[in-house]
Amino acid sequence: MEMWETAGYHPGLGETEVQWREQTFEQGGERRRVRVPVPDEKGLQRLVEVVRKNRQTDLASLSVSEVVHRIDQTVERLLDRNHPLRRRMEDWLPVVTGLAPDVIRTGLTASMKTFRKPQLLRWLAEDFGNPAMLDSFQPRVNGGFTRAISPHLLVHIWSGNVPGIPLWSLVSGLLVRSAQIGKVASAEPLMAGWFAQALEEVDPKLARCLAVVGWQGGDESRERLLFQEAEVVSAYGSNETLEAIQSRIPVTTRFLPHGHRFGLALVGKEALNPARVADVLRKAARDVAIYDQQGCYSPHCFYVEKGGVLSPRQFARMLAHELDIMQIRYPRRTLSPREIGEWNRWNQQAEWRALEGEEAEWIGGDGRFWSVAYEETGDASLLPTCLNRAVLVSAVNDLEEVAGRIAPFRAYLQTAGIAASSRRMFQLADRLAETGITRICALGHMTVPSSGWHHDGRPVLKDLVRLVDVEPSAEVAAEPHNPYSE
Amino acid sequence: MGEKEVLQGLKDMMKAVEADEAAFQNLALQLFQYQYRHNPPYRRFCQSRGRTPRIVKDWWEIPAVPMRAFKEATLSCNDPAEAEAVFMTSGTTRPGKRGKHVHPTLDIYNRSMLRNFRQRFMGARDVLSMGILFPRPETLPHSSLAHYLSLAVREFGGEHSSYLVDGEEVHFSRLLHFLREAERSGEPCALLGASFHFVHVMDFLEQEGLSFRLPEGSRILDTGGLKGQSRHVDPDVFYAGLAARFGVPRHRCINMYGLTELSTQFYDDGNETVPSKKSGPYWIRTRVIDPVSGEDVPYGETGVLVHYDLANVHSVLAVMTEDWGKAVEGGFILMGRAEGAEARGCSLAAEEFLRSSKG
Amino acid sequence: MDLKSQRVLVTGGSRGIGAAIARAFARQGAAVAVNYRENREAAEATVRSCRQFGGDALPVQADVTDEQEVRRMSEHIFAEWGALDVVINNAFRPYPFDPEGRKPFSRLEWKDYRDQLEGVLTGVYHVTQSVLPQMQAKKSGSIVNIVTDLIARPTVPYHEYTTAKSAVVGFTRNLAAEMGAYGIRINCVAPGLVYPTDSSRHTKESIREAIADQTPLRRIATPEDVTGPVLFLASDYSRFMTGQILYVDGGLVMS
Repeated sequence: MEMWETAGYHPGLGETEVQWREQTFEQGGERRRVRVPVPDEKGLQRLVEVVRKNRQTDLASLSVSEVVHRIDQTVERLLDRNHPLRRRMEDWLPVVTGLAPDVIRTGLTASMKTFRKPQLLRWLAEDFGNPAMLDSFQPRVNGGFTRAISPHLLVHIWSGNVPGIPLWSLVSGLLVRSAQIGKVASAEPLMAGWFAQALEEVDPKLARCLAVVGWQGGDESRERLLFQEAEVVSAYGSNETLEAIQSRIPVTTRFLPHGHRFGLALVGKEALNPARVADVLRKAARDVAIYDQQGCYSPHCFYVEKGGVLSPRQFARMLAHELDIMQIRYPRRTLSPREIGEWNRWNQQAEWRALEGEEAEWIGGDGRFWSVAYEETGDASLLPTCLNRAVLVSAVNDLEEVAGRIAPFRAYLQTAGIAASSRRMFQLADRLAETGITRICALGHMTVPSSGWHHDGRPVLKDLVRLVDVEPSAEVAAEPHNPYSE
Repeated sequence: MGEKEVLQGLKDMMKAVEADEAAFQNLALQLFQYQYRHNPPYRRFCQSRGRTPRIVKDWWEIPAVPMRAFKEATLSCNDPAEAEAVFMTSGTTRPGKRGKHVHPTLDIYNRSMLRNFRQRFMGARDVLSMGILFPRPETLPHSSLAHYLSLAVREFGGEHSSYLVDGEEVHFSRLLHFLREAERSGEPCALLGASFHFVHVMDFLEQEGLSFRLPEGSRILDTGGLKGQSRHVDPDVFYAGLAARFGVPRHRCINMYGLTELSTQFYDDGNETVPSKKSGPYWIRTRVIDPVSGEDVPYGETGVLVHYDLANVHSVLAVMTEDWGKAVEGGFILMGRAEGAEARGCSLAAEEFLRSSKG
Repeated sequence: MDLKSQRVLVTGGSRGIGAAIARAFARQGAAVAVNYRENREAAEATVRSCRQFGGDALPVQADVTDEQEVRRMSEHIFAEWGALDVVINNAFRPYPFDPEGRKPFSRLEWKDYRDQLEGVLTGVYHVTQSVLPQMQAKKSGSIVNIVTDLIARPTVPYHEYTTAKSAVVGFTRNLAAEMGAYGIRINCVAPGLVYPTDSSRHTKESIREAIADQTPLRRIATPEDVTGPVLFLASDYSRFMTGQILYVDGGLVMS
């Protein structure tokens, strides 16, 4: 029997008041169906009014610490592997996303963990210094007061199959106490709705400040309507998609585009000895295999320094074996014909380059679910890669050269994983920071950003709010008007 | 086995009415040995794939070169500087690099084309007046299609044959003249050219409110995709349009499937229904493979097409395409390319980067 | 995995156990390079019998203890086939297995040991060095070193011979530990007394019967008995085994 699941969350709009779009997912011979609620324009307008009104009555009055407490309770449920919603996630997401069950399970736990109370408090402190600023005007060190005002409506356009993304968005929106409407990605339409359901178990009133629905991406009339109503629009997608979205957003609405990006890794010669390299390789391969490089933080290239006990070429060959091992625990998703096309074209280019001479090598081929290209001439034409576990290992004389090599990708860089000594790590951080890299972490952590990270270099929460200042002059000028003024 | 013997074997084979399995097998293995010896990049490819002449025992084990490789390497058994022709791909997928197919001589290419064209397009006729919807070879010296069409005109074109494209644009008054003359003469004629030019022509005729009834026995040959060259037209609508605008029944509207990387073309037997079945002469064979494992898919299932073209004497006889298709009795159904992978996550992929840095 | 189209080098492949191994691979559809030192005719006979199975076979001359010759041999094979997937280190220096005529320890000189070590370990070393880079470059390969069950149970103490073979076991295990990271496996097959071979010619009937009597499977090995475990270790069926010794002696050694 075919299994069904209903996506979305639409308070105030009944089952029959939306249309239902059906999606079929197939993976490893299993076939599942998801139905996604698609409101028409009138329905969308209703949702806007409902979540906005609910926010006004039930969310705006909560203190930030009350909201934190409720999110903490929500993720506590979702961290419990026996909770029915968590079970549904572990059961459905492997089929929907194609990601290996182990990737889903560990990925869910890792991302939920970043939404527990201590992590949320740290995140708030990170962005606001004094989170009470979200509740009331707070004194500033240099005089005056500042308060952070939440957007009355925050709209999300999600894309892709990495299940953590909608969670990040929804939690950020809750922390700043905004009403939210999210459009699910067809590649993973379920996660956002499940989160709303979990929230409903904790606090139904709070949950009803969110709506999660779908429509055909690029639907101009729906999007114009919604963006007209929104105060902030946050969207994920390719630059083409984002430009299309931007063209529909009024100039007075704040737009937070999250374009496609990629990561890379640097391995210093000090890490390239037989005793240390095993650990580095294991972590490097994990960062590649988890999410099949679909994350904007996933590494495409490993810059490996010459001069260690092991050569960059040996590193490439050993990385190939580690990737091979990953296939057993974290099998790669079944690729679509288009993805296979892109995979083949990239690999054919890499293979034929390697046939030209000794400076390049390519390990891959039929029946392998990964591929490693190696080069030592500084040729970057294989970057970014075709994804789905294809990496370039590039030999460098000195890791300091990397900054120059990645300059052409400035607008598309995100995370750099580094395996090098402390002193060099900080030196490299300085250089990389100049190139467009916005996050530096250890190998093995590339796909698990720490809580409160500055996604693409921005303070995520602060970008959502409007900061209102009471200047010292207002304070001073008010004094004479006080009845007790003398 | 030298070049001469292989060439002679091939010419003999092309003279035959039908060739048997053993003849194809023998010639393929001989040609493979020759190409392995004289084509250094191909030899390295075979060695790295572990498929050398000593190892390969059957024609389908001959390593197939991906089309991409024609962009990365010069796949020629002869000095490209002395080539009679170098055909290049249009390079729509990746900017900058174009695939090259070096022909030291066009002798075999021409034989292959003419014999096949006569049989698959000319019907019982020796001569047809041809209207060509494509530039002359002088305009596009590296286009295999320009050469192909000029060969058709030279060998089979009647005295009223005419090129209906100037530069790269259709010359509409010359087109109308050709069509009216054909109608008036009552002699069957042929229109041949790029599919996208036919779309432009049909758009023009619709705009002008014109349609023709070309004499009984007239034929149309279109080839190549529409990608990037004209608006997209559903194949069924396309052939219905040809039939309506020119009065040529759909079973005489032939679609040719050719690749710059090959020396032999595939044809269908008209497009009464689409998609049509494509097939080639006995010196070309096609396998349908699973592009992940490289193995044949079960008969009738969808996979990527790999062609083994014995007329590709001077380059590589086995070419792996980027076209999807499925085998049917006596041929295959072409399903086209799978391009523009949809993003699954938030990571930037190679081809998206190229698109965005181009535009 | 099937061994079809796998490219295999068998050192000392012209006669005896080596020839049996070469034929066994050929029967599975593998391409086999039959290495020999001097006996070209024997090697060509083995090659001919291999080709009967339809696959490729080549005779390749090299004294495996000579680095230059080994390099030339490998390059020749790579030119013909591209690479090697499997290497069977079977060549060894001739040794008369004569329980009654063997030298007792008191009469052994260091040179006797050195000759055997040179004959056995040097060959394994050179051949392995010459094939490993290309195995690493394709991230796959299997090497099988032929030793002897005497390393575990010196029924007859052929000191220098068995010591040299024990060194090959040490070599194998160390290399296996390092090459695992490249997906390359190295194992040993340790046959008991194999008859008939040129080396076991000297072994008297009575000795063979005595060994057979002690063997659970009640006979001594034939060259063909050795081939199964070698094929197994060369193939994907043993893909998670490395650094191991498989004893092929009818159960004489149980470990």
